[in-house]
Amino acid sequence: MLPNRSRLSVLVFLLPPLLLYGIAVLFPIMQSLFLSFFSWNGISDMEFVGLENYVRMLTADDIFWRSFFNALGYLAICLVLQLGGALLVASLLTSMRRGRELIKTLYLLPAVISTVAIAFLFVRIYSIEPVGLLNQLLHWIGLGALERPWLSDINTVLAAVSAPEGWRFTGLYMLIIYAALLSVPQELEEAARLDGASRWQLFTKIRFPHIMPVWITTTIMATTYGLRGFDIPYLMTNGGPGQSSELLTTYMYKTAFTSTDFGYASTIAVFIVIECLVAVGLILFMLKRKADA
Amino acid sequence: MTAPAAPVTRAITAPAPSDSQPPLRRRRKPNLFSTLSRVLIALIVIVQVYPLAWLFITSLRTEHDFATGDPFALPKAITFENYARAFETGNLGMNILNSFIVTMGANLLIVLLGMMAAYALQVLGFRFSKIVRSLFLIGIIVPVQIALVPLFIDYSTINLLDTYPSMIIPLAGFALPMSIYLFSSFFEYIPRETYEAASLDGAGPYRIFGLITLPLSVNTVVTVVLVNSIFIWNDFIFANTFVLSEELKTIPLGLQNYIGAMGKTDWTATFAAVCVTITPLLLVFLVLNKAMIQGLESGASKG
Repeated sequence: MLPNRSRLSVLVFLLPPLLLYGIAVLFPIMQSLFLSFFSWNGISDMEFVGLENYVRMLTADDIFWRSFFNALGYLAICLVLQLGGALLVASLLTSMRRGRELIKTLYLLPAVISTVAIAFLFVRIYSIEPVGLLNQLLHWIGLGALERPWLSDINTVLAAVSAPEGWRFTGLYMLIIYAALLSVPQELEEAARLDGASRWQLFTKIRFPHIMPVWITTTIMATTYGLRGFDIPYLMTNGGPGQSSELLTTYMYKTAFTSTDFGYASTIAVFIVIECLVAVGLILFMLKRKADA
Repeated sequence: MTAPAAPVTRAITAPAPSDSQPPLRRRRKPNLFSTLSRVLIALIVIVQVYPLAWLFITSLRTEHDFATGDPFALPKAITFENYARAFETGNLGMNILNSFIVTMGANLLIVLLGMMAAYALQVLGFRFSKIVRSLFLIGIIVPVQIALVPLFIDYSTINLLDTYPSMIIPLAGFALPMSIYLFSSFFEYIPRETYEAASLDGAGPYRIFGLITLPLSVNTVVTVVLVNSIFIWNDFIFANTFVLSEELKTIPLGLQNYIGAMGKTDWTATFAAVCVTITPLLLVFLVLNKAMIQGLESGASKG
């Protein structure tokens, strides 16, 4: 604490940021919570309905549950691509002696591109008429039977809209994990190697435990980002065909701004927040149990 | 970090003609491993980069070539007509300008307010600072979608819909916690003695902020600006929700105009437009990638 500070000076520095944060984040959270107990289309009078929105969401809304499970699938694909891909590349990169910087830069490139551009790009990659990159590639390697319009096939559309999101950010997580891997004490690895540890043992017994704190942060980041994923599915399929690529976020957005059902949309939004909090709690809980075991 | 390892790895991979028994196995295994890992890395990098290269190549194709040809083939003829059509169809210049204004505005708020809050929390200190910190933590976990409906309603009551601030406020608000966090962890490294000496010389909290904290923070400012610019420049959800008029559309919204604008999508022109709009940020990224990479690393790894 600074000796000459006054109460006033603390307020001068703290109030403006708190004001912005309050207006943009805290107050809207409260408002959403409040709105979720009302039925309101933005024009007529607001009508208090108590828990009706929540009951409807949890018991009577098939689309909600469909979106919920789709969102979990989307999350799973993103996590595998982002964290799995990141860990793999970061580990491989530490064994390389040249070109690390170049690979880091190239790998991060998709993170700089806007989601709209990525959505356009992947619409073309998946297309069948004219034949896109993916179908052409399948044709070449003799898997022509798998060629299909990936975005209009209800069995593949969810994976097809999840992959670009995974593709986009795997470089970002790779950077973080790579930085952590570099901080593993070299002496420790040397010692283990001299004791005859295999690469796999080296990884599971020394490297991975050492980067555990960073791994937790990255997992939490990737999970919360995965649960709020919106842009790419919204732009590529808008939830379709039918509801086969609808996520909670796109469903909430449509409920709010297409059906102008602000009350019910807020209920879904509150659910998304709770879902994020529960996910973070679960990750911390599972890792703690694993650490205790 | 890598220096002490170098002699060892060199010893292992050095081409030694001798075939003494146990070391041979040790020598071969890492070679196979490193070849494999190099191939794998190359494959993954191709998957990451090729789509972007393809985007660029396609933007130079003729429409006919695009509609009929093999997508992997190089274009039969290079044409810049797509770019001409891209500029005709949309308002690319205006979109870029708008994105620039929003990015600048939001960054200004994020840096200034983030620094101020971190200064109050980390340097000045006060009794309830823990509570305030955890309040800011909420903004990192909570998804932005929660704010869409309330802000839409609030904006329409105070006539702020369809303005620059309608985009800047939530973009800055949701980025603020990370910025506060980065500045706080930097301020920790400024030795307390520096402040105490300045205090003894009679400097108050404002002068210390202006004369010591601010000038020392330049590097952190660069980090915060670079990292946030990626997300703000590319923001789709706030712009799509709060902005309606053509004159205010940022790049992501402008690009959407290309899809189905005339019943049928002109893909080659769309790709040309995409190439134009990703260029500014891509250039900044390629020039400053060291600083940016460092920023992204420090942003999360200390969490």
